[in-house]
Amino acid sequence: MARKKVRMSYITNNSARKTTFKKRKKGMMKKLSELSTLCGVDACVVIYSPFDSQPEVWPSPSRVKNVLEKFKNMPMIEKSQKMLNQESFLRGMISKTNEQLKKVRKQNHEKELRHTMFQSLTTGIPQFQNLNLMDMGDLEQLINQKLDEINSIIENLSEEVIENETKMSKLNNNACEGIHGM
Amino acid sequence: MVRKSKGRQKVEMVKMANDSNLQVTFSKRRSGLFKKASELCTLCGAEIAIIVFSPGRKVFSFGHPCVETVVDRFLTRNPPLHHQNSGTMQLIEAHRNANVRELNAELTQVSNELEAERKRGEELNRVQRASQGNCWWESPIEKMEMSHCEQLGGSLEELKKAVAKQVDRLLIQTTTNPNSYFAAGSSGHPTLIPNGGFNGVPVMPTHPHPHAWNPGYGRFF
Repeated sequence: MARKKVRMSYITNNSARKTTFKKRKKGMMKKLSELSTLCGVDACVVIYSPFDSQPEVWPSPSRVKNVLEKFKNMPMIEKSQKMLNQESFLRGMISKTNEQLKKVRKQNHEKELRHTMFQSLTTGIPQFQNLNLMDMGDLEQLINQKLDEINSIIENLSEEVIENETKMSKLNNNACEGIHGM
Repeated sequence: MVRKSKGRQKVEMVKMANDSNLQVTFSKRRSGLFKKASELCTLCGAEIAIIVFSPGRKVFSFGHPCVETVVDRFLTRNPPLHHQNSGTMQLIEAHRNANVRELNAELTQVSNELEAERKRGEELNRVQRASQGNCWWESPIEKMEMSHCEQLGGSLEELKKAVAKQVDRLLIQTTTNPNSYFAAGSSGHPTLIPNGGFNGVPVMPTHPHPHAWNPGYGRFF
């Protein structure tokens, strides 16, 4: 299957547009059918193309009528709540994508700071040249976080050592008393 | 390597058994379907209405130019009202098409940025994995033995001091030139890995310690 990136604008070439229409319409109907089956929900689609005066529909015209009637009978508020046209849909997509972009940028920023920290440790030379004040603040936070982790590990390890030493000395005492008691 | 999700799996075409999976599937597939519909309208100039009832009580719909007109057109079996003849309708439609063109362009741009940023993230992961192989101090701390912990802690304390010094330096810079708050030493945005790629090689330490520092003033600054 050809996987070229398609430019999102009206296809001016008539035959290319017709071919694209046929393929994509078929694919979309398949997806709709899958959605309906997998999730056990009522659904339908009506498509008017410039190539045909008759609409193309899924599932069948009579079942489409049923779904549309069910839709029409719903209260206006419920219908409108999740009703989209191209403009509103695209705005939603842009907003969602921007959120994802922000999230990934933040993750990448953290990864870079971590890298900066370890590079500085490895080489012995602080790698601060690309960092501004805000970044330096974040870096300081990261270092403090690591220090906290290390200190708590050291505490735990020390506690373990003390526990073991206490146990050992108790065992020794018991052993000694045992001998003397004989 | 722990995978975040199972990836693409073949799905049996029956109603899904697990209810929460069903909800997630509905949400994702519905979104993808509407995206395909929007693209069909843009690419081929089709008019469309999709109605999908949710597993809950809601109904989702997508329509171009709008759901109601396409639904009515189908139900009444009327030929399309030749509203295009009306000057006002033509103007409205032209305006709407211009908006959609702009929005499509914006979506394409943001999507490309997202993809680039994701690639950058993977590159950063690769770099991290490579250097973790060489340096014990980059490995998870929970598994470290005492002496390593103390050594790493010492180096970190030194680095912290270097950070504080640099912060002071930058603060002085800022007060003399307020515009430089967001400016770094060179560029404004920290980019260890520009979009073009990273040619860094993990540093092989000559001795297996992080540098024990003597922050002599002359040496670093």
